[in-house]
Amino acid sequence: MELAEKLKILSAAAKYDVSCSSSGSRRANVPGGVGSAAYSGICHSWTDDGRCVSLLKILFSNECLYNCAYCVNRISSDTPRATFTPEEVADLTINFYRRNYIEGLFLSSAIYRNENYTMELLLKTVKKLRHEYNFNGYIHLKAIPGADLALISEAGKYADRMSVNIELPSEEGLKLLAPRKKKEVILKSIGSLTENIKRYREERKVFKNTPTFVPAGQSTQLIVGATPDSDLKIMRLSETLYKSFDLKRVYYSAYVPVSNDPKLPRISSPPLVRENRLYQADWLLRFYGFSAGELLDKQHPNLDLELDPKASWALRNLHLFPVEINTAEYRMLLRVPGIGVTSAKRIAAARKVGSLGYEDLKKIGVVLKRARYFITCRGKYFGDVNIREDLIKNKLVGSFQRKSDGKQLTMFNDVVPYR
Amino acid sequence: MLYYIYDGSFQGLLTAVYEAYYRREEPFDITPENNFSGDLFARQVHIKTDGDKAGRVFRAVKEKISPRAIKQVYYVFLSEIMQRETLIYCYLKKGFKLGKDVDLYLTDKTVHEIQKVSQKVGREKHRMLGLIRFRKLVGDIYYAPIEPDYNIVTLVAPHFARRLSDQNWVIHDTRRGSAVLYNKKEWVLAQLDPGREFRLSEEEKDYQQMWRGYFNSASVPGRTNTRLQRQFMPVRYWKYLIEKQEL
Ligand code: SF4
Repeated sequence: MELAEKLKILSAAAKYDVSCSSSGSRRANVPGGVGSAAYSGICHSWTDDGRCVSLLKILFSNECLYNCAYCVNRISSDTPRATFTPEEVADLTINFYRRNYIEGLFLSSAIYRNENYTMELLLKTVKKLRHEYNFNGYIHLKAIPGADLALISEAGKYADRMSVNIELPSEEGLKLLAPRKKKEVILKSIGSLTENIKRYREERKVFKNTPTFVPAGQSTQLIVGATPDSDLKIMRLSETLYKSFDLKRVYYSAYVPVSNDPKLPRISSPPLVRENRLYQADWLLRFYGFSAGELLDKQHPNLDLELDPKASWALRNLHLFPVEINTAEYRMLLRVPGIGVTSAKRIAAARKVGSLGYEDLKKIGVVLKRARYFITCRGKYFGDVNIREDLIKNKLVGSFQRKSDGKQLTMFNDVVPYR
Repeated sequence: MLYYIYDGSFQGLLTAVYEAYYRREEPFDITPENNFSGDLFARQVHIKTDGDKAGRVFRAVKEKISPRAIKQVYYVFLSEIMQRETLIYCYLKKGFKLGKDVDLYLTDKTVHEIQKVSQKVGREKHRMLGLIRFRKLVGDIYYAPIEPDYNIVTLVAPHFARRLSDQNWVIHDTRRGSAVLYNKKEWVLAQLDPGREFRLSEEEKDYQQMWRGYFNSASVPGRTNTRLQRQFMPVRYWKYLIEKQEL
């Protein structure tokens, strides 16, 4: 089979993995080598669905032994199959890289022959890139759960980021839809990466020449809407992954209907709004100091689809508002709906050299459309309705619907602008 | 009204700032010579670019204001916006008075404008790190034409010198007729005729084809959203994007 044909099949098969980030690594080039990592990551293009293209995202093989119900590559699916060689992957990566099409490689694979065999092929490919081609660009490598942990940790010496996909948020979900995947095996692989990342990091503090091990950390992906799991369950899982397993990112992928297996829910289109809300909630966990328990509880097990999670939290906690912009703690500024990290930082900077009125906020670029219901400036409130849950909600939902037109449904992938 | 006329270079502008302080004579405006339309009442001072004086201003900005300030000033200079010189001059005056705190005065018009423009330039630079596309030419040279809004070729050069250190490459601003050339050792800024033709290497078409194929199949059907795509990647940048060209 021709290389171009393989690329077509194996990139089409990989695109449902939503992660594409190239951030978090400072790998530097060496004399005679090619490539370097940019800590903040770089997008090289944007596809027609508005997603950033940063890495060459391909499967090594889509000839899968498993039969996960939600997946196009399951053994029972009628789809064209192909498998690369390590040389082919290395050649494509280098040639795309030298033309600045990409930041690096995201290599994953179906289970080809068996777990260890697949992992060995992935390992061979990244070793070739690093050693023979002297490649120092970004590599995100999928760890195959069920492969020997020794193989997985060996691979970690060459990768910038690694990921083990959890796919389904609950054990029952896995049993039903991906019977060959086992929760303990997945968590064990994740846990062993976590441990090694920690160990190497400690060693590097003492011995500067310790090699790097997955310097950009690990990530995982959850499929949303293929099982009845609630958002509360999902966010609790994410919280554990961030806190106890030190994950860098959890990705959420709205289930795209691929088959009419009766075990799968009947939906005509992927639950994109829900996916977007989960990203926003995830953002709140990572950058805004929220906990899953604050955003969701037994009475509210799912995120409000009409309102973003910060606004719904604020409306349930109106006793904390309004906050005075000139004196509120930074962490409280961050909790004001409509105020993001950039705005909060600007406010914190500008108020050091003078007190801020409502007009000043506008001048420094803070968008007040939503924030005004939750703040005072020099003691004065600027909302056009009183501070009452129903009244404010009305205003917020109204403004959301007017400006949405599908725009709100698009904030997925690595760019989730959060206000 | 007093006009300072300088040669249009960054060094020249810093020299003009030096003179403004030294002469204690406030310029009404600082303009590059090729842009000066001289009005009847204009009194003109022609600034002679002086590396020594420019260097002193450069260091003074860095030390007495902040490293951030000198970076912002340089970025605003590269923006080529109208009256950038006067904006820069006003900002520096404030900066020398307020020190590094000047950048906290976000409600001040000059400070706000400086930050806004320099952020725009910074954003385009970052965008270009991704959007630049090299074509491999016969003779083993990788060539990338670009048409950025701002004059950012020198800002992106160090990144590629580090990253693609073992290949010869050229990044060509075809609108401004300038280019950075890299020879596996160092990069230089040079003039390069916009109309020049280049011959592609033999394998180039194959990789371009594969990249286009990859790009087109990476989009998930059912999630098409070209408005979002254009927001991140404005159409004016598509001209030189391999993936956006028909064969
Ligand atoms: S293991 Fe399951 S999810 Fe992975 S490729 Fe095979 S069928 Fe798809």
